[in-house]
Amino acid sequence: MQLHSRTFGHCIAAVFSTALLLSGCGGDEKADGDKKSKDFARQDAFPSTYSITQSQPVLIQGATLLTGTGEQLDSTDLLFKDGKIAKIGEGLKAPKDALVVDGKGKWVTPGIIDVHSHLGNYPAPAIESSQDGNEMTSPNTAEVWAEHSVWTQDPQFALALAGGVTTMQILPGSANLFGGRSVTLKNVPGRRVQDMKFPGAPYGLKMACGENPKRVYGGKGTAPSTRMGNVAGYRSAWIAASEYSDKWEKYRENGGDEPERDLQLETLAGVLDGEILVHNHCYRGEEMAIMMDVAKEFDFQISTFHHAVEAYKVADLLAENNVCAAMWADWWGFKHEAFDMTEANIAIVDQAKACAMIHSDSAVGIQHLNEEVAKAMTAGQRAGFDIQPKDAVVWMSMNPAKALGIDEQTGSLEKGKMADVVVWSGNPFSVYSKADKVFIDGELMYDRADKARQPHSDFELGILDAEGERL
Amino acid sequence: MSGQLKSRICAICALVLGLVTASAQAESILIKGGKLHTLSDAGSFDSADVLVVDGRVKEIGLSLNADADKVIDARGKVVTPGVIAPVSELGLVEIGAANATNDFAVTGDSIGSAFDPLPAYNPKSTLIPFNRAGGVTRALVFPGISLWGDSVGDPQRVFAGRSFAIKLNGDFDSVVATDIAQKAYLGEAGGQLAGGSRASAYAKIKNALEEAREYRDNKDSIRRGDWREMGHSIADLEALQLLISGKQPLLVTADRASDILWAIELAQEFNLQLVIFGAAEGWMVADQLAAARVPVVIDAINNLPLSFSSLGARLDNAALLAKAGVTVAIGGPEYASTHNVYLSRQSAGNAVASGLPYEDGLKSISANVAQIFDLEGGSLEPGAVADIVVWSGDPLEVTSYPEQVLIDGKPLSLVTRSTRLRDRYLKPEQGHEFGYKR
Repeated sequence: MQLHSRTFGHCIAAVFSTALLLSGCGGDEKADGDKKSKDFARQDAFPSTYSITQSQPVLIQGATLLTGTGEQLDSTDLLFKDGKIAKIGEGLKAPKDALVVDGKGKWVTPGIIDVHSHLGNYPAPAIESSQDGNEMTSPNTAEVWAEHSVWTQDPQFALALAGGVTTMQILPGSANLFGGRSVTLKNVPGRRVQDMKFPGAPYGLKMACGENPKRVYGGKGTAPSTRMGNVAGYRSAWIAASEYSDKWEKYRENGGDEPERDLQLETLAGVLDGEILVHNHCYRGEEMAIMMDVAKEFDFQISTFHHAVEAYKVADLLAENNVCAAMWADWWGFKHEAFDMTEANIAIVDQAKACAMIHSDSAVGIQHLNEEVAKAMTAGQRAGFDIQPKDAVVWMSMNPAKALGIDEQTGSLEKGKMADVVVWSGNPFSVYSKADKVFIDGELMYDRADKARQPHSDFELGILDAEGERL
Repeated sequence: MSGQLKSRICAICALVLGLVTASAQAESILIKGGKLHTLSDAGSFDSADVLVVDGRVKEIGLSLNADADKVIDARGKVVTPGVIAPVSELGLVEIGAANATNDFAVTGDSIGSAFDPLPAYNPKSTLIPFNRAGGVTRALVFPGISLWGDSVGDPQRVFAGRSFAIKLNGDFDSVVATDIAQKAYLGEAGGQLAGGSRASAYAKIKNALEEAREYRDNKDSIRRGDWREMGHSIADLEALQLLISGKQPLLVTADRASDILWAIELAQEFNLQLVIFGAAEGWMVADQLAAARVPVVIDAINNLPLSFSSLGARLDNAALLAKAGVTVAIGGPEYASTHNVYLSRQSAGNAVASGLPYEDGLKSISANVAQIFDLEGGSLEPGAVADIVVWSGDPLEVTSYPEQVLIDGKPLSLVTRSTRLRDRYLKPEQGHEFGYKR
């Protein structure tokens, strides 16, 4: 089965029920004679081995569904089979061997997607020797891949799962202009990171504006030391990437000596090719506007501005340029570029018809993204906007799916999509509601009522109590 | 003079001054028909009236027939005492990463227990209206020792210094009490500061307290120089007198269960009023904390095993501690910094969702804080200071917000930079006109 992302249109393959085999999307495209088939993304270098054995169909009866497509369906049934959403409606019949969940009084949402996480890269415990989230040795470290730092036994993954998070993007840190590649993971236990990799999800490139790169490198007496130095750094790198891309293009067309591979330029060229999505840490409105012009100059698309504290100031420009913004509900003041916070940020961006979403950047926050969305929704209502739970749920499901280029596969309760589903004890936008059951690709991966269906990482075994688990 | 005494005098001054101004205005406010949580012995009411006169609660009743200058219709709303932040840096910091705007964290080996951050307090900080709009009416303000930067490992001191309390009305005279508590570091943070071992931090505190006793008993000789050289300055030893006389609490950081037990041991040896700050593994020694009557200030939403000292961190820590009889105060979530200290109510909501009884949840962010630090506020009863919040709904719910905030009986503005920026950019568009919007 081959699915194509609406937004980014590259190389999304997902196969379930059997051991998964991604035989290299680039290869497939080459066979199609696609001109953009240089395979800078190297999707097959560390291929996803994610698979979930399907045990039984699931029928959730009579719940309130927030579909992630702007609808609230009351007293409705949801059936999923073979890992996919099969039917939504009233009075659905349970297949013979189905797990039937009484949804009365419960609310159901798509699995939460966190577009900005460092789980596994900055694990708990935060021992210095395990702080592997940012290669702070050069302003451009586009050559590093976040997946190579993921400690899959980070106990924070399971905590996020209990908060309803089914998918997350693990990003390198923000000290660099180009921090390296991100990876999108499904929130399942994995002996190796490949067992968690969202099949076919495009890679991301972490870029960073503003204070961090100029502070870290300026502080070492090297470029950049100013925001203009930052922009010069981006443009120089994109010039080099364009040349690299052209070199390979010529080689493919005319033959001759194979150019030397360059890991750093390969990732940037993958962006120019549209295979790798840009995730840009950027707080200030002015800087977002500059970055959108940089993207035009070098003909690439920015997927999402992260930590976009001032997105509301340029929400119309974001909409015009088809760029998403990932925001907190209310964080502010920890640095100057985070000073102009308004709690209505997400709502204003949403009302301007730009793609708005919540994000955590925190191992605590990721467990409560429903609460964070609730606060942002409330701030929107207080600003006078008509924003209801059916709208706000999109900020933690469909819009992050779009930002990650996986919106054809997940992010909403629609027929044929991955059955990434959370059953909440009540309205998810209440502090008292909890994720009772979390399904990933149709399988029950977390059950609040059943300790046997609550994953524990290796780290937690015998740690406080030699005969028990951590909690 | 004891801290409590000082605070009491301070409170009395404020009261007298308040009465003078108030009698000129003869201000009275009737808050009618709200769901009322007094957090005092009077309990809660589905609907009740609160009469405020001259900055204090005059009367509470199911239906009061009072002539008031102003009536607040609270029907369908929830009325509680204002939130009190148990630990904050309000007024000492504007921007976390901008050193010049940041006066709470001291590095190097400058003064320890004598350090008084009070002269750095800025009541015009933007954090004050923002947290007031979030329902916070009072806060304790503590200094800290920076654990980052070049001087870590150098300071060799574990006392952060003195603290004070403010009301969040933004006035220049908004400090309500000084010398409320001393702060020190045990456990992992203490170990980092004291040269590598938490045992060294323990020894340093013990040694300081012993010298404080020696100083108390031989003050004149020491001051004259007829005594051995002391390891601490006279100013530091003076500041510790309030601790060893049991008149001022010592707020001590400790997360690991065994660290908490050692802190209790230390408190018993020196007759200290101890408050544990952190207590991630407090639930494991809840009975010992309860028996020693040691209250805790916790970050109730932080369930991460972020260090080997907090492996037992869990969301029902507050519930388990309260069940054992420990007085629990909930602080702002550390991950959101002092800028959002008002989010203690979200943390308390999560604690309630994890088993803490609802009223205990409300008390953990108000009444218990006042009780632990012997401050005014935190409950509503005749004579109590009228720090009152009228909420759109359940104060612990993330979709609720304050509609009225009264401090000393005075309704205050809920406008913040956040709402100003929101209103300027409700519909962002091309052009220059935004620059003329106020």
